[in-house]
Amino acid sequence: MAYLVTFHWGWLLASVLLGLAMGWIAVVHRGQGVSKRTARWLAVLAAALVASALAHVIPGRPGYWLDLGLVMFAMYLVGCAVGSWLRAWVLSRHAPAA
Amino acid sequence: MHGLFRWSSKWWPGAIPLVILWAIAAWTSTAPLETDLAGRSASALKGTVLDKTRIEVSGRDVTFAADAFSEDGRRGAVAAVEAVPGVRLVNDETRLVPEAKPFVWSAERDVARVTLGGSAPLPASKGKLLEAARAALGGVEVVDQMQLSRGAPPRFDTAASLLLDQIVRLKEGKITISDTKVSLSGMARDLGGREAIAAALKNLPEGFSVAANDIKAPPYVFQAYKDPVAVTLTLTGYVPDNNVHAAITAAAGRKFFSEKVVDNLKASIGAPSGFVSAVVPALGALSRLSTGTLVVTDREIKLSGDAFYDAAVTQIRASLAKDFPEGWQVKADISVKPAAAPVDPTVCQQLFSELLARGRIRFEPGRATIDQDSAGLLDRLIETAMRCPAANVEIAGHTDADGDGAVNQALSEKRAQAVMDYLVRAGLAANRFTATGYGSTQPVATNDTDEGKAQNRRIDFLVR
Repeated sequence: MAYLVTFHWGWLLASVLLGLAMGWIAVVHRGQGVSKRTARWLAVLAAALVASALAHVIPGRPGYWLDLGLVMFAMYLVGCAVGSWLRAWVLSRHAPAA
Repeated sequence: MHGLFRWSSKWWPGAIPLVILWAIAAWTSTAPLETDLAGRSASALKGTVLDKTRIEVSGRDVTFAADAFSEDGRRGAVAAVEAVPGVRLVNDETRLVPEAKPFVWSAERDVARVTLGGSAPLPASKGKLLEAARAALGGVEVVDQMQLSRGAPPRFDTAASLLLDQIVRLKEGKITISDTKVSLSGMARDLGGREAIAAALKNLPEGFSVAANDIKAPPYVFQAYKDPVAVTLTLTGYVPDNNVHAAITAAAGRKFFSEKVVDNLKASIGAPSGFVSAVVPALGALSRLSTGTLVVTDREIKLSGDAFYDAAVTQIRASLAKDFPEGWQVKADISVKPAAAPVDPTVCQQLFSELLARGRIRFEPGRATIDQDSAGLLDRLIETAMRCPAANVEIAGHTDADGDGAVNQALSEKRAQAVMDYLVRAGLAANRFTATGYGSTQPVATNDTDEGKAQNRRIDFLVR
């Protein structure tokens, strides 16, 4: 993991930034969200992918691509969480003033 | 926290650019990542001793194939690759190099090259042996056919490099180590090489022994070539020591009265017994040939060339039949030189004088027996006499002034007669010659010095 981070820090940073931006937008976004049922399926899918990556089930290049995808996805989620939390905090500071 | 769940349901649109980002990252980073991991794996293996190492990287999985020389070494190498940061899985395709039983190593020399074959224990020792062979053999081509195998006896490297030094001493042959047994066969390059190899084998490391040493010594060769055009006698090959060397060159100087002796002889051990007593008479036979080659190989003498006249052939053959020590073989291939063109008696006189100026007919001290060493000169005189069949020749004997005059007179007459008899035996008509003795009455030099006396003791040929 440490190796992937040092080797791919550029891509991971891009994922975090993408996540930050998406998280920032998501707080005030009025569009349709993912339903709970779909979210649960997506969580199961993500867990299955993580499990298969940890178990080294997929060999060779696809295995590496899976690892890379999961790490980027994790960074994206972290970015989203931080972005949303930041936006919510900024909004809560401005609300009383307004 | 509840907010985070609510917001997260709206994070999905970002997944689309994320997937694109991922695809680009995967597309561009796979090859550099694989190169990087291959490099790291290779450098992790730097300290290990392996053969035929092959590293293939697919994603983060490394396929590692190599031949190891011990089980510990093999496991250590696999562990080293597994410990490389970034490597996810190692497909272990390593194996131990096969064990050779018996462990055989060989060095074979032929005319053009040296071939190293069999098994070597480690790449390092293989390289060292090759390098040592190239250094020791100079320009000779060294062919490497060595395999790597386990099971070498202890101190193999020391033994092999000692034996490699011996291959230099071989002209052709093979040296083999089979486990701890050493076998040698072939022909030594130089005389004495066989003995040098046998001495070196005493230094084989502990545990090694010589199973067979069939190295043969090269033939002991002595050659003499009489060249009538260059007027030289060329001696090549070997003599046992410096004393024999001196004896042979001195004999050559006496027997070849007009030829310059070109001495290319080398001293070496290994001469067959009776070498001097065989070579000296053989040189005497060669001195009677107009042109000829004498080759002494071990105990075989080969003489070939042209004699000056028919009777000489018979005489030479007869002397070759009896003059040699036991165990020696003589092969003579002697023909007769074409007769030289006839000349006037005056020219004949000139030729006689020239020959007798270059060499004198020698006798045993105080006696009328012709010295064997003068056979070559007499043959030339006889050949000259044959060229002017009409000329009558006086054979004049002279002595120095030492001793009683009457004795000297008698000795000079007997010596002149002995020469005349020799000429008649060679087939010349007796009525052409008269033998006269002059004692010490006609000196050509002073009788006060040894040198002058030697010049006065002579036989002259005078055309009448």
